[in-house]
Amino acid sequence: MIDLIHVTKRFGAATAVDDISLSVARGELCVLVGTSGCGKSTTLRMINRLIEHSEGEIHIEGQQIRAFRQETLRRRMGYAIQSTGLFPHWTVARNIGLVPRLLKWPAAKIQARVEELMALLGLAMEEFAGKYPHQLSGGQAQRVGVARALAADPDILLMDEPFGALDPITRESLQEELRELQARLHKTIVFVTHDMDEALRLADHLVVMHQGRIVQQGRPLELLREPADGFVESLLGGEDRGLKEAALLPVSQRMLPLGPRRLARERIGQQASLREALSVMLWRHSERLTVVDDDDMPVGELSLRRLVGARSDD
Amino acid sequence: MIEWRRWAVPLGWLALLLAATLGMGQLDGLFRWIEADSRQVIYARADFLTLLGRHLLVVSVAAVLAILVGVGAAIAATRAWGRDFLPLVSQLASIGQTFPPVAVLALAVPVLGFGTLPIIVALFLYGLLPIVRNTLAGLEGIDPGVMEAARGMGMSGGQILHQVELPLAAPVILAGIRTSVTINIATAAIGATVGASNLGDPIISGIVNGNTAYVVQGALMIGLLAISVDSLFSRLPLTGSR
Repeated sequence: MIDLIHVTKRFGAATAVDDISLSVARGELCVLVGTSGCGKSTTLRMINRLIEHSEGEIHIEGQQIRAFRQETLRRRMGYAIQSTGLFPHWTVARNIGLVPRLLKWPAAKIQARVEELMALLGLAMEEFAGKYPHQLSGGQAQRVGVARALAADPDILLMDEPFGALDPITRESLQEELRELQARLHKTIVFVTHDMDEALRLADHLVVMHQGRIVQQGRPLELLREPADGFVESLLGGEDRGLKEAALLPVSQRMLPLGPRRLARERIGQQASLREALSVMLWRHSERLTVVDDDDMPVGELSLRRLVGARSDD
Repeated sequence: MIEWRRWAVPLGWLALLLAATLGMGQLDGLFRWIEADSRQVIYARADFLTLLGRHLLVVSVAAVLAILVGVGAAIAATRAWGRDFLPLVSQLASIGQTFPPVAVLALAVPVLGFGTLPIIVALFLYGLLPIVRNTLAGLEGIDPGVMEAARGMGMSGGQILHQVELPLAAPVILAGIRTSVTINIATAAIGATVGASNLGDPIISGIVNGNTAYVVQGALMIGLLAISVDSLFSRLPLTGSR
């Protein structure tokens, strides 16, 4: 869907992005992660030509992005940024309807689309449609920003640290919402962040960048298990890697069928992560948990030995 | 009701201005007290309504020109293709204001002759700076995130200018126009020295003939006009003021 082929960007003598190649498959959520100044934002902004690449080729669905007019290209891609960039003199509804208006949709269709998106992002129409951006909280403004990016139903969504300025609780709930949205909409998303937890939580495809180059890319678990070098390892949290990996694995993957023993008192949902299971064990001073399904029916059990991945359970 | 109240203050000043224009003749007694020795105490070479009309005309023409050129130049200097001219534009506007209007008149009269034209040129140059400076400040002051989003969403340069930049910069631009016009209402009086008849006439004539009453009448009219216009500007609805 999106292909970067030996792409380089120079600003004068400085090389911001150095010969990177990257493919993002349709429906995939690709996260570019790295420290400040590693070129991840530059890479993102080259895709919608806010920055023109110096060398190499960038393709969208097999076509060079330079074959499109800039405006046409950008209207095909949603774009959400950290500062939201909502127009302060426009209402929420008008902000969301921006790209459909640029594409000259009929008014009734725009109205219907705005209502649909506000419902999708959990913004009550009566409450928010007429509000101005300065009347919104950070989380609400970012929801509006995402709704605006989705307005013309683009296949591609570019997100530049969209949740970076939010408090941790709002950030986590928006990450969760993005995952749910993505499960329903199957957009091709390129997401930039410097927050490794966010990257691991969201990514199908994780790309670690450092000094303008891609140091490693692959599925989050692959990177956790086999970091290419010390930099990737430290970015992944060094000693914390075990917990980060545990956060990516569901309880259902390690649980054993219910045995003859009495059910353990403490319970954990089968969709919960191993990290949460470990936390429950630590908190309750318990070495065994009963795994339950969504209806709270026991379906298996999880022991500490099993959780930490020891070969067999005795 | 609320709409009416919004305009009450400017309307009050306008009423006072109108009363002074039409009723100056009735104040004969008052001005005779200021200027007891003169035979005539109310300026009568032209009626005040005509002088007011000419004054307004000169200031308006200069203002329209200054707005067109000033806002236009500031917009051009903030486009990608005009960035190189940004320092030049702001310097030229500064020079326009440091150049005293009297000097402009002195230089313009030999070229343009006596009358209204030289004073329009002088006021235009003098009024340019506040407009250019504020338009630049307004456009440059827009949140970079808003500009980035506007471009990233696929708005064209013209769409960004009309739908985003100008509405958001409008309050600052209007403040510049307000300063420019108010200053020029006062400055226009010197036009009387080169034969542009306006509310400066009574003042110049009063100075020449030693008639304080004339000076007071001209100054009163100009003051009321400036306050009325300033007050009108302060009540203008601003879409971008949020």
